[in-house]
Amino acid sequence: MKIRTKWLGIAAAAFSVAAIAGSASAQDKRTIALVYGIKGDAFYVTMEKGAQAKADELGVTLLADGPSQWNPAIQTPIVDAMIARKVDGLIAVPNDPQAMIAVLQRANDMGIPVVTTDQFIGDGDYANGSVTFPLSYVASDNFGGGKLACETLIEGMGGKGTLYVLVSTPNVPSDVARRDGCLAAVEATNGAVELAGVDYTQSNATIATTQTQAALQKNPNITAIFGGNLFSAQGASAAVKTANLAGTVKIASFDAPEQAIDDLRAEVVDIVIAQQPALIGATAVQYIVDALDGKTADIPRKLATPFVVITRENVDTPEAQAAIYKDK
Amino acid sequence: MSESSTTAILSCRGMVKRFGGLVAVDNVDLDLAAGEVLALVGDNGAGKSTLVQMISGVFRADGGTVSLDGEQKVFASPEDARAAGIETIYQDLALCDNLTAADNIFLGREIRRRRFGLLPGLDQAEMRDRARTVLDELHIRIPDLNAPVRALSGGQRQAVAISRAVYWQARIMVMDEPTAALGVPEQRKVMDLIRLLKSRGVPVILISHNMQDVFEISDRIFVMRRGAKVGDFPTSATEPNEIVRAMIGG
Amino acid sequence: MTVQSSGGADTAGAPGVGVQAVRLIGRVWAWLFLLALIAFFTATAPHFFDLFNFQAMGANTAIVLVLALGQTFVIITGGIDLSVGYVMGLATVVISLIMQNMVGYPLPVALLAGMAGGLGVGITAGLFNGFVVARLNVSPFIATLGTLGIAQGLAFVLSGGPPVSIQIPGLGALGNGYVVYWHSTFGLGLFGLPEGVTGPEMRNVRSFIPLQLLYAGVLTATCAYLLSSTQFGRHVYAIGGSAKAALRAGIPVKRDLFKVYVLSSVMASLAGLMYVLRYTGGVASSGDALLLSSIAAIVIGGASLFGGEGRIGGTLVGAMIIAVIQNGLVLLGIDPFWQYAAVGAVIILAVLADQAKLRIVR
Repeated sequence: MKIRTKWLGIAAAAFSVAAIAGSASAQDKRTIALVYGIKGDAFYVTMEKGAQAKADELGVTLLADGPSQWNPAIQTPIVDAMIARKVDGLIAVPNDPQAMIAVLQRANDMGIPVVTTDQFIGDGDYANGSVTFPLSYVASDNFGGGKLACETLIEGMGGKGTLYVLVSTPNVPSDVARRDGCLAAVEATNGAVELAGVDYTQSNATIATTQTQAALQKNPNITAIFGGNLFSAQGASAAVKTANLAGTVKIASFDAPEQAIDDLRAEVVDIVIAQQPALIGATAVQYIVDALDGKTADIPRKLATPFVVITRENVDTPEAQAAIYKDK
Repeated sequence: MSESSTTAILSCRGMVKRFGGLVAVDNVDLDLAAGEVLALVGDNGAGKSTLVQMISGVFRADGGTVSLDGEQKVFASPEDARAAGIETIYQDLALCDNLTAADNIFLGREIRRRRFGLLPGLDQAEMRDRARTVLDELHIRIPDLNAPVRALSGGQRQAVAISRAVYWQARIMVMDEPTAALGVPEQRKVMDLIRLLKSRGVPVILISHNMQDVFEISDRIFVMRRGAKVGDFPTSATEPNEIVRAMIGG
Repeated sequence: MTVQSSGGADTAGAPGVGVQAVRLIGRVWAWLFLLALIAFFTATAPHFFDLFNFQAMGANTAIVLVLALGQTFVIITGGIDLSVGYVMGLATVVISLIMQNMVGYPLPVALLAGMAGGLGVGITAGLFNGFVVARLNVSPFIATLGTLGIAQGLAFVLSGGPPVSIQIPGLGALGNGYVVYWHSTFGLGLFGLPEGVTGPEMRNVRSFIPLQLLYAGVLTATCAYLLSSTQFGRHVYAIGGSAKAALRAGIPVKRDLFKVYVLSSVMASLAGLMYVLRYTGGVASSGDALLLSSIAAIVIGGASLFGGEGRIGGTLVGAMIIAVIQNGLVLLGIDPFWQYAAVGAVIILAVLADQAKLRIVR
């Protein structure tokens, strides 16, 4: 079954590339669809901006839309509508790794090249995995991001001390990858840095506060906390303040919406790890256009984009400013 | 079928109640004199409860007038009727099981006081004392005034409901099947309470299916059938067979 | 109904020492359980028995407790208010949006404006719940589920989804600080660190009475008085015992239900205000995960979801039990997932204890 699907997928991809290459010459301006993960999220707004800038540069039209909530049943009709509009390429942030396979397969069968960003379908390995028809999976390397965050914290700790980890859930792959990346950084110190524990905050600041307080009580030597998302970091910060330890315990926060930058300036957190959604969007557009131009061989099946570390020292530099997610 | 008394405390004329097409009470007159126990009897669905609920303000009459001491009254709600002195003891008692006897006696009419001269609060000690007094007056023994009434027996609960009416100086007491759910010793206790009310001059309208009780305690027997009044007998001048014949229309 | 009256009369006629004792234990079992938990964790968990830890637990459970205070009234009337989590979330968003636009104003002015907005949210939501429950006779579960959705939607629409932050200096201190600080060399500080304390010296400051605990304490005392000692409180119990009896006794049941739902929503919006002070911002989902904890606290405290039973003291001890379990299990180094299971087990234990008590007393 698996092998057959794979062969079918490759055949379909080859077919689609050929078909598009044919149609491309017949058309002056190509249209690419971006179906992002959820409306109104600064991360996806920024991704769309990056994609739009690249589309303008390459002379293609970008159509962007997405579901009002994170739900494959709502996202599917949006993708279908894009197929019906006969777009030339599709960039999607699939809401579910399994449920979104069928509709993206449908696009691919219609000869529309597909790139997924931020999230993947199947097992995420488009070269040898269960699903291979998408051209590429462009996303941040969450493992690398967690690792970078904790390496930065450890550097600030002077290479030794005790570190505590808070992530949102134990069952979302990106959270797990961030956690594991951080734990890898701790392990790399060969015992110089001790791990105080890992807790799960359900993305709720109040719960994060309760957990951090108990962790600080148990282990008064904690000098750094990794917050796997904004709420985890905010919750940790409140507990640190209640313990009169503000300033003596460093906190890293993952993701860089405006709120995280505000928190950074207000000394709620000390380090913000920014993904680069704009770069992700731009890269995806470039890959689609490359595919339409027949340069399929140059496209990597997976691209991990790097991170930007924002601190109070560098927050006003153009690089850091460019990395902040935009709401509108 | 003559008008029984010119000294009637309560006087109802031409009472009518319809539920959709059904006429539940059809042009009924009823009078009640001071210190009188009136037994209201009739088969199920004869309209006894409906008539009584118009008097106690639960239903609005579709026709007819209710006068207290010769003054015509319109009761929009049970509170109106209660404010006028008509207290009703319902079949299901209308007690809050989770509250104490004292709480129930003062339910909706709690004694309030200001704490430290400003905070609105309840005067719980005063309510408990007064509850104790009225219960003693009626020879009702409730061992633990702090227990919720769900811990009391059926007869004790009935007694709490009656003492509530007595405390609030009911001018007329309406009792709908007060002994229906009770064992025999407790039925006796309730009968004693009705006698006590009578001795204090409080007239009672008693709905009952128990002929023995009716003949034991009432002064007058008022019979209804299919919404209409079919008989009004002085108890001393009638006997059970006559009442039953009137009830079933024989 | 009590049919075997003589049997019932015997039990009730002589409340023996046994029944009295059961009644007493029924009332205080949760406190005994709390003491047992504290004794257990004191013996097993390092750093548990510590004044700072107790104060911090109190501060951390303050928001859940406040959320539960108003809900206690609702549950005693036999209802439930599922909307408190998102009413709290909506309040945090509204307060934050107002205060965000008041940067530059003095803190008290901005705070009062934010509070007014938050209370507005609470009162509106409560009136709406009261209207649907008392006037339209919709079951509280459904009515407040609807309000939950509306509040959630509004909160997301107003905030656009992401959290709303407030940049007003001094705001966070109101949510994270203490009333009294003490340092052996730098001396005493009220509502702030003693002058001169910086860096590592901060670890040597002793602090007393977290502000979050102070806020929650004032609200708890107010609600306890309202429920136990006022006519309104007595009517709340009466409605839960028998709404029909309450109505016949002349209690304005509908008006009191309005009051109860408004109280619940207003407490939720005050919990929202405490969240804003603590995290200097608001987000739609801030109260979502706290709803079940707050209901759990009430149930552990002895309230019945069928109405008529419950006390603010019970809700307080219920919230404390949950806080102690969560804290103690972390200190023991037990997997965080077991915390859920432990709280769940205590809820079932609480309900069983309650049923046993009722059986014996009846």
